[in-house]
Amino acid sequence: MIPELGSAAAIVALALALWGAVAAATGARTGRPALVLSAQHAALGVFVLVTACFALLTYAFLIFDFSVRYVAINTNLGTPFYYRITGVWGALEGSIILWTWMLALYTLIVILRHRESAHELYPWVLTVMLSVMAFFLLVITVAAPPFARLTPVPADGRGLNPLLEDTGMITHPVALYLGFTGVTVPFAFALAALITGRVGDAWITLTRRWTIIAWYFLSLGLLIGGWWSYHVLGWGGYWAWDPVENAAFMPWLTATAFLHSVMVQERRRMLKLWNLWLVILTFGLTLFGTFLTRSGVIASVHAFTQGSIGVFFLSFLALVLLTALALLAWRWDALSAQGELDSVVSRESAFLLNNVLLIAAAFTVFFGTVFPLLSEAVRGVKVSVGAPFFNQVNVPLFLALIFLMGVGPLIAWRRASPDNLRRSFLWPVAVGVAAAALFSALGIRSTLAVLALALTVFVAATIAVDFSRATRARLRMGERLLPAMGGLLRRHNRRYGGFVVHLGILIVTLGVTGSQAWSVQTETTLRRGEAAELAGYRVRFDGLTATEESNHFKVAGAFTVSNGRVLSVLRPAKKFYPQEQSPIAGVDYRLGFGEDVYLVLGDFARDGSEATVKLQVNRLVSWIWIGGAVLTLGALLAILPDRKKPA
Amino acid sequence: MRARAPLLGLALALVLAAGAAAQARRVAEQQVQDVAAQLRCVVCQNLSVADSPSEMASQMRAIVRERLEAGEAPAQVVQYFVERYGEWILLSPRRHGFNLLVWAMPAVAVAVGFTLVGLVLVRWTRRGAAAGRVAATPVDTAMRDRIRRELEP
Repeated sequence: MIPELGSAAAIVALALALWGAVAAATGARTGRPALVLSAQHAALGVFVLVTACFALLTYAFLIFDFSVRYVAINTNLGTPFYYRITGVWGALEGSIILWTWMLALYTLIVILRHRESAHELYPWVLTVMLSVMAFFLLVITVAAPPFARLTPVPADGRGLNPLLEDTGMITHPVALYLGFTGVTVPFAFALAALITGRVGDAWITLTRRWTIIAWYFLSLGLLIGGWWSYHVLGWGGYWAWDPVENAAFMPWLTATAFLHSVMVQERRRMLKLWNLWLVILTFGLTLFGTFLTRSGVIASVHAFTQGSIGVFFLSFLALVLLTALALLAWRWDALSAQGELDSVVSRESAFLLNNVLLIAAAFTVFFGTVFPLLSEAVRGVKVSVGAPFFNQVNVPLFLALIFLMGVGPLIAWRRASPDNLRRSFLWPVAVGVAAAALFSALGIRSTLAVLALALTVFVAATIAVDFSRATRARLRMGERLLPAMGGLLRRHNRRYGGFVVHLGILIVTLGVTGSQAWSVQTETTLRRGEAAELAGYRVRFDGLTATEESNHFKVAGAFTVSNGRVLSVLRPAKKFYPQEQSPIAGVDYRLGFGEDVYLVLGDFARDGSEATVKLQVNRLVSWIWIGGAVLTLGALLAILPDRKKPA
Repeated sequence: MRARAPLLGLALALVLAAGAAAQARRVAEQQVQDVAAQLRCVVCQNLSVADSPSEMASQMRAIVRERLEAGEAPAQVVQYFVERYGEWILLSPRRHGFNLLVWAMPAVAVAVGFTLVGLVLVRWTRRGAAAGRVAATPVDTAMRDRIRRELEP
């Protein structure tokens, strides 16, 4: 009974979304507010119904309703309570429900915030958002029905993918999906601007904070994904350039480009066409990411089940891009830019270069990700495009971006005078060069590492120069130091939020550079009581213990880590799940600011007399998480509502 | 006579093998890692043999170490895996033939982007300069006079 209710709710929601999309559009074209009001009610109805779907599916998980196929595949009687809830979105069907629910939530917030404004764009925004929702509801009702029955009803289910049994399962997908679905809002405003012909700056002003919110959640999702990879997947890394990581990274890159290029439009009324295109591209890439994860065309750690769903997403993606291109062509005249500039040495140029590099990086990632398909289609030869490739081609682009991160915020608009350049960059360049010399003198061999660190110092110095200059100006006005600094952050929250984000990126860069350049590892087989040594650490094998958990069997080794004195006992494990062919690694680690000690258990003798262990000393990795926290704080600061100076 | 040739061959192989064994050297962990990092773990998804915690990867690392210790060059070890598993085993496609496309694409993207931006900037600055010239001469002096007049008491 309950599953049938769920299916029915999805079908009614689909009908409502379609009605709402048509009603809002008709209301806008014929000037009948009653229809727009009806579309609002439809959107509210969709939200309620999708919430009901979500609740019913969760209920089916909680009561172990194995007559529902999705429940039977993704849970079993041993699955703990907590993972029965997160398991709801642990695979394809449920994840689409979560996705649709978030879209409905965003739509509701858009209605609450913008309905009073009665702006010309508003009904069309509703149309676009309800159309996107209708697509996802179509997927739920036709391509991936979560409430499909299973006969005969099994006595027990298969169980959740063990890698998903982690607290990260609540934060990582939720943040990432909030980012992905959040991109729909600026996209809807962009399309509405094109449809109404109001391609001026209104849609940019209206969606500025929406875009930062989406970017904030995308960043958070990526960072938590990195942390998850580091502490669950057991390979000692945080980013594998896996196709699906790439799928989430591409919209992040284009959204970052958009956040920068809108400033040119706000300030100088240029790049209108380009900004529209960037938002459309970002939205298209979120769809492409969903397609990659859910179609099974590319093997990946994140691959969901396969089926006809890929065709759905690809068709919708094509539809979105064609519609957008047609609209762009239709409004071409209104969009042709009238840019003017006094000098090539100006902030406009810095922003344009920033955009080129970000888009080139996104394109590189895209092409690398789909190249295996291309190679198989053209040559019939399977190739892999993995981390060594992506690192090699992207590092130069990212280093150039970091350099621009120092230049962009301080160089003057229109024309940078020699005086502006000298005042802004003399000290930072000097400090950067000195840092490069110092790092080389300290014996850092890798040129890339020296370059990355020196650039980091340079950009940090530009931020310091700007902040101290602005603070001193306030001090001269008679403010005290701390209120002056606080006032700067609050009054100019977008600018200084941006600086804090940049600072976060610099800290992440430090962590990535350190972990790439200086991490060491070794692998060895130890008898009980024997010890291995690496980078000043001594790791002694003390024996194995086996325990029976609710849904798996766990063998853990005890390893005493010391460096002169005993630091801790680490217990890396192997977990044997009945539904999995090979055991799952459970790593153990000791985190530190300078370095992490990270252990992965390999083969072991059944009597516990010996075990193979992979021992890693990962350098500066903690700074990636610290930088991530700084970055998200900066984004939050930039999201705060503008506070104008009291008159 | 005819039977001797294979025997001789075998003897030769044994001698060579013994020579290789004599040359067997301690191979630094780093060298094993460097080779393993280029290879894809065949049972995992997108993890290198160096990184993967799976048993298969651990066996593959052991093969890498054995072959390096037997005196093979890193490139030969890599080639051994390519012959067994195909090009797919390499995490970074070899730079020849069709694969050049994926290697060239980033540079092409950057070059095209920079060219476009260059063209746009040239157009903008020309327009800016034209607008500046028009604005600079007559308006500036007229404006200055007006301001002066209005400032005078």
